[in-house]
Amino acid sequence: MITFSNVNKWYGDYRALTDINAEVGKGEVVVVCGPSGSGKSTLIRTVNRLEEIKSGQLLVDGHDIHAPMSSAQLNRLRSRIGFVFQSFNLFPHLSALDNVMLSPMHVNGVKRAEARDKAMQLLERVGLAAKALAYPAQLSGGQQQRVAIARALAMEPPAMLFDEPTSALDPEMVGEVLAVMRSLAAEGMTMMCVTHEMNFAREVADRVWFMDAGCILESAAPESFFRHPQHPRAQRFLSDLRSH
Amino acid sequence: MTAVWEILRDNWLLLLIGQYPNGPLGGIACTLILSVLGIVLAFPVSVLLALARLSPWRLLSWPATALVYVARGVPLLMVILWVYFLVPLLIGRNVSGFVTMLCTLVLYEGAYLAEVVRAGIEALPKGQMEAARALGHSHLGAMRLVILPQALFNMLPSMLSQFVSTIKETTLGYVINVPELTFAANQINNQLLTKPFQVFFILAVIYYVVCWSLTRAATALERRIEARRAGTRGVKAEGAPAVPMQPVAAEP
Repeated sequence: MITFSNVNKWYGDYRALTDINAEVGKGEVVVVCGPSGSGKSTLIRTVNRLEEIKSGQLLVDGHDIHAPMSSAQLNRLRSRIGFVFQSFNLFPHLSALDNVMLSPMHVNGVKRAEARDKAMQLLERVGLAAKALAYPAQLSGGQQQRVAIARALAMEPPAMLFDEPTSALDPEMVGEVLAVMRSLAAEGMTMMCVTHEMNFAREVADRVWFMDAGCILESAAPESFFRHPQHPRAQRFLSDLRSH
Repeated sequence: MTAVWEILRDNWLLLLIGQYPNGPLGGIACTLILSVLGIVLAFPVSVLLALARLSPWRLLSWPATALVYVARGVPLLMVILWVYFLVPLLIGRNVSGFVTMLCTLVLYEGAYLAEVVRAGIEALPKGQMEAARALGHSHLGAMRLVILPQALFNMLPSMLSQFVSTIKETTLGYVINVPELTFAANQINNQLLTKPFQVFFILAVIYYVVCWSLTRAATALERRIEARRAGTRGVKAEGAPAVPMQPVAAEP
């Protein structure tokens, strides 16, 4: 579903991604972990071209995302990739319902009534039907992030990307967001998640990618990654996590 | 002081509407119409200028930037004189002082407001544009649906204070015979000849009252916007279910 072939990215002289070769299969859940500054967010943001790459190829659902194309084509491709941000980025001038309805109506040309029904279903699914008319500022962080997930799902993407979806949340709200993500995974959604929630990785992920200094150092099933990390950097990372 | 009341008693209609209906509409009415039309027409111009200034295409951003810099870098009176002498040459016929002044104000205020709009857009968190683009909106679509509604709302107080400046700037229409309030006051002064202080005292008070009320309105508006933001931000998660397991488990 998502295939990286020799992807490289530079910020000036700084090499942010080095020869990334990896694949997220259809229906697979991949958790990307690693120390901060290791390139996890950069990696996930190249998948819908929020970040440009220097060389290599990135296929999503068979489309070469970084090929030269018109902005209309790129917009169409982006609309088919769900993206959830660390800082939610809900539109604060719109109610939760309008946040979810906006893009189906204006990007896909769905009729208002239809978009509304769909948005209500999605809000119901993330447990927020009762908050449909609330504005983002009236919602807790966890609720906002669940609306953001519903908003991304409204475009019916075949794959969802999560960029540290729980890092900006108070601890007691992490669970509600992870619960939504778990149910998505159980339904067979293709997911790529940058997260520090190692329990989530252990329970839900099909594979864990460990990144450091712009490279994927290890790609393994979670049980073997957590029990027997191969790379010394991964071993150090995991023992640092356990030590506190 | 009695002289002031006498002048007001004899000339209030002239101060209010000029020589209308025997002549062009003037006085306070002319000043306000000129200012309102000026700011209303300058607004769309300013949004377009700001978007052009922020555009990645140099073909758009450079001319817009140049226009804004020039308009902000020269005195208004000079722009008025340029428009006054140049426009009739360009279109081959005379235009009224009112139209000249209106064009000048739209150009000048458009440039100033464009910077306000640009600042409003740039003050929004980058994530707003990113989220809209990630959902598949085009740049302009994201501007129209996500960025501008927020930026323009945040800018309402600045716009109102720009409107106050515009009212004060209409006084310069006097030099090209726009029959606005200052022009009317000068007419009265020319009739009376001996009471310039009283006449221009009245003029100052009228401008002060109009501008002061609008400034107050701008401050009140600003407070309301701030209260709205603070108020809504304060409300956090009243009685929200911590983990919505049931609905989440529902089928897609």
